[in-house]
Amino acid sequence: MELRLLSSPVLAQLNSGVLVIDSDFRIQYLNAFIERHANVSLAAVRHQSLFRVFADLPEAWLKRKLMSVLDLKTPAFSSYEQRQYIFKLPHLRPVTSSSAYMAQNCTMFLLEQQLMDKPLICILIEDATDAFVYQQHLNDTLHQLEIANRQDGLTKVYNRRYWEEQLQHELLRAQRYQHPLSLLLFDLDKFKDLNDRYGHLGGDFVLVELAAFIRTLLRDSDVFGRYGGEEFGIILPETPLSGAMEVAQRICAAVANYSMLFHQQTIRVTLSMGVCQFDSHVHTRHDAFIRDADVALYQAKRNGRNQAVAMPLSGVIAKTP
Amino acid sequence: MSQLTFTEDQRDALQEIINIAMGLASDKLARFLNTFVYLQVPAIALVAASDIPEEFAKRYQDQESALVSQGFFGNEGVRGEAIVLYRMENAHKIAALLGYDVNDSSEMEMLTDISAILTTTFLNGLAEQIANSLSYNAPRVLSSRQTDVIIGLRNTSCQWAHALKVDISYQLVDHSFNCDMVLLIPGEAVVHLQHILDRLLDHY
Repeated sequence: MELRLLSSPVLAQLNSGVLVIDSDFRIQYLNAFIERHANVSLAAVRHQSLFRVFADLPEAWLKRKLMSVLDLKTPAFSSYEQRQYIFKLPHLRPVTSSSAYMAQNCTMFLLEQQLMDKPLICILIEDATDAFVYQQHLNDTLHQLEIANRQDGLTKVYNRRYWEEQLQHELLRAQRYQHPLSLLLFDLDKFKDLNDRYGHLGGDFVLVELAAFIRTLLRDSDVFGRYGGEEFGIILPETPLSGAMEVAQRICAAVANYSMLFHQQTIRVTLSMGVCQFDSHVHTRHDAFIRDADVALYQAKRNGRNQAVAMPLSGVIAKTP
Repeated sequence: MSQLTFTEDQRDALQEIINIAMGLASDKLARFLNTFVYLQVPAIALVAASDIPEEFAKRYQDQESALVSQGFFGNEGVRGEAIVLYRMENAHKIAALLGYDVNDSSEMEMLTDISAILTTTFLNGLAEQIANSLSYNAPRVLSSRQTDVIIGLRNTSCQWAHALKVDISYQLVDHSFNCDMVLLIPGEAVVHLQHILDRLLDHY
């Protein structure tokens, strides 16, 4: 059997694009795949410049690739991962894919042939839309996982692990650039009573509502996390103790005036806050920093709750009766 | 397979073939990139696949690096994988090297481009020496983070016990750009390569 007779029907049915150009980048051949997707006919475009027929091509970029094929006699490649497509063609998943054009893996290579004196380059175009779509799904999922990995499931603020990591970063940054850094640690007053009265669902409701409300009072650069149970922490970069106290008192007052409606019952809560400024001599580790803020928080409780207490830079809190 | 060794003749012939391929490749590259390509004599060794991940880890310790892999296969059972390793600090020099507009192409695209050029020019030269011809798949960025690479290599190395490893360093003088290429030919393909070498040796 004449093998050559097989090649043209196979080329016509092939689900990949086959395009042949000469060294002047003039089209010598393109198969049915390209004819149909690009809505051109070989007879009409033969001997025309590739870049005239496909005006959307990244001309300078593609010419450089084609020159390397001609000069080095080695193949050149383009992957959808780096460049989604070379030829702007529609694809066969217009409904289920988010991309408008066919994602492509392309191979460009020199055609070995003795019959013609001028070299020919073959460009193979493979439809990689499916892989592209899967890759996008994967990336989206990874992105969601990354968010879930640092979020507290209930309150949607940062979880303890991530929050503490951020605190360590901020500590290093404050140390290196000699910038002020403050920490707020707070706790819901009498949370146990709240749980006893409204049940755990009521307690959870309050945590969620309050976290969302407090978030609206913060700057974008502040790092808000749930430290445990009803205890939260806020990292305030670029903020000295005086500024942190202002923030703390503002939050305390705003929360005390904030009422939440749970099953037709109005709930009001108050907070106790400990405020501390980072001191690189005392806080060699981030847990020492947290411990000092916790000391101040404990003092706020002893002072009668619903207030913020600052840990003075000397590290000693004046005793109040 | 565990008794995979080269005779002295086979080793000499292979080293010679690789040296010639190297010379052909560097000549082509120098012309194409318009710069002088400095080469060291490629080192060939038969290695246990299990040692490869550690070796990569050691070589690229404490450095942000990128790995680009390209598979190749030819007639008579010749096949393998070429891995080009870059230090990321070198990556931005590639744009200047290839004459790319930085806004036009991503760093990873430039890495795959230069990888394809480096590996295919060398391997085409090699194939020519043994009267073979090679096909290539598209180069793939394995990873731009070192830890991923080591884990990846650990996962793949169990598929073959021994491999022929060819180490080549490229250094482009004008651009103070350098990178390493490691050619890995898995055990079974090494046996095929030995048959080819024996046949070549018979001719002389």
